[in-house]
Amino acid sequence: MVDRIFAGVLLVVTLAYAVIAFTAISAPFQYDPLGPESWPRILSLVAIACLLVILWKPDTEEMGVTRQTWFRLGATVIMLVAYSELYEPLGFILATILFGTTLCAMLGAGIWRSALFGVAAGVLGYLLCATLLELNLPDGELYEAIVDTFQEESS
Amino acid sequence: METVLTGLATGFGVALDPFNLFLVLAGCFAGTLIGALPGLGPINGVAILLPIAYGLGFGPESALILLAGIYYGAEYGGRISSILLNVPGDAGAVMTTLDGNPMARAGLAGRALALSAIASFIGGTFAVILMSLFAPTLASFAVTFSPADYVALMVFAFASLASLVGKSTVKTLLGATIGLMLATIGIDANTGVPRYTFGLPDILAGIDFLIVVVGLFGMAELLTLVEHQVSGKLKALPVDKSFVRMADLAKCKWTIVRASVIGFFIGILPGTGASVASAVAYGTEKRISDTDKTFGTGDVRGLAAPEAANNAAAGGAMVPMLTLGIPGSGTTAILLGALLMFNIQPGPMMFVQRPEVAWGLIASMYIGNVALLVINLPLVGLFARMLTIPQHYLTPLIAILAFIGIYTIVGNPFDLLLITGLGVFGWFLRKLDFSLAPVILGFVLGSLFENNLRRALSISGGDWSILVADYKSIVLYVLALLVVIAPIWLSRRARKMEGDGNSKAI
Repeated sequence: MVDRIFAGVLLVVTLAYAVIAFTAISAPFQYDPLGPESWPRILSLVAIACLLVILWKPDTEEMGVTRQTWFRLGATVIMLVAYSELYEPLGFILATILFGTTLCAMLGAGIWRSALFGVAAGVLGYLLCATLLELNLPDGELYEAIVDTFQEESS
Repeated sequence: METVLTGLATGFGVALDPFNLFLVLAGCFAGTLIGALPGLGPINGVAILLPIAYGLGFGPESALILLAGIYYGAEYGGRISSILLNVPGDAGAVMTTLDGNPMARAGLAGRALALSAIASFIGGTFAVILMSLFAPTLASFAVTFSPADYVALMVFAFASLASLVGKSTVKTLLGATIGLMLATIGIDANTGVPRYTFGLPDILAGIDFLIVVVGLFGMAELLTLVEHQVSGKLKALPVDKSFVRMADLAKCKWTIVRASVIGFFIGILPGTGASVASAVAYGTEKRISDTDKTFGTGDVRGLAAPEAANNAAAGGAMVPMLTLGIPGSGTTAILLGALLMFNIQPGPMMFVQRPEVAWGLIASMYIGNVALLVINLPLVGLFARMLTIPQHYLTPLIAILAFIGIYTIVGNPFDLLLITGLGVFGWFLRKLDFSLAPVILGFVLGSLFENNLRRALSISGGDWSILVADYKSIVLYVLALLVVIAPIWLSRRARKMEGDGNSKAI
């Protein structure tokens, strides 16, 4: 059943892919026998064939995931999205402290240990990656605003 | 022979450079750690650390040496959690649990770890030696491949992938096709026509390889860890003071040789990595030497066979990647993508054009194998302690590392959302028994496949018969057919024999 749903969704995407390949893509002029559209056409046909076989003979019946697990997975994805959204505005250190603490706490560590882990990951991670390895990590708008006002005052 | 010696001389010149030597050691150490952690296998480790290695701005040979060190270090480390926890560190170490864990439960953990380290060392070294002998010859033969032969080679690669990897042939094939379809996104290099970009400037150049890799492997792995999250600590068996004896080695010497040969050649086959190799080696060994029915109860040979095989396969998988530009496993597909990011086209010309990269990597594997043995024998207690790191620290750490890696490439927060999305997609694929290696293989090989097909038809002026005009392509198509048919035929025969046995019993 799950197989059929997944294959069905993929089939819709693949059909859209095929429609674009067969109608929209074309080169204004070309010298080669195969243009940019031929390869996607071949691929879409192979993919549709595979999907039809799966729809006809699915082999995975259920996901075997309990409601509680779904909830935990959903929460993780939401945290990841929030982490991505806050990465630049808050900066690496603050965003990582927040993300590390919440995910760690959700996975069953005590609140103090989680907080300790979050702070360690944020601060040590920044020192290691941005200072020592000179990788590019966001400082955060807050930090930049403080630096800006400080510079304005000093000038 | 002379090319091999001069090549190795060049290679050791590169690999013995103090900085590169340090990277080999660092890579092997980090790799063993990653491999030892339950759940995190070589492919996830390389995927998560690749963007960071890229961001550090090393030269291509140094970055590749580091990544390759992580790769075979992880193949080494996988056995630790198999033996002590009975939880395989990665798919390649599943077979190690069968005899390794019973040994540890019998109080022989130290002996099992030492023996498997030596078996791994022999398997790995054997593979590197064969590789340095074979690779230049294969490369000089591969130079004669025409575009049509390359198309045949790809068909063979995907056929062996579909037939040997994963539970369902159709799903593996679909996975590879999804990878190929993802690779068509972006501007077509031949005509300049944008395909599937929907006017988004972010993907005009195609979806970044790093994003696909980190999303499908790193983030999907993270979600799997959350799904299987176990509260509390896993109980690791203690490492005792027992050590491998000469008698054990004498008992296993032919086992190790056989398993190394099997592992190396299975590793060469495109798409089949360590997991298939160790399973086949274990099965073969069981058939040959399990006369007293001791396999599965802590037989040293049952431990040595899969370990020698999976390390030999890790080396074997490098051969087609370096010589043909076609990776032999999911992890080598990632390494191939790493080379492409450095603007190095792996393939037959690499040994001529960039000998320092090709041979430097091979030489570093000799050093890495010795280093791994030296690291593993005395420090195994330290790695064993890593097993008890609770999952609730490990899981957020993976996300943080993945985010650092992806953000440092171009500093675009949109990419972070993209890897999260791909992670969810990858998790669903895994959940539904698709294996992810074909997807990444398809993605990496997409443009090569398409361009060779188009080039071949340009040469023939649109005549499709050019694809079967040469004996090399015909041989490859026949091999592709064989690799699909042989397993089906073998399983039919096995079922038939089983049926005979049952009818006789009645």
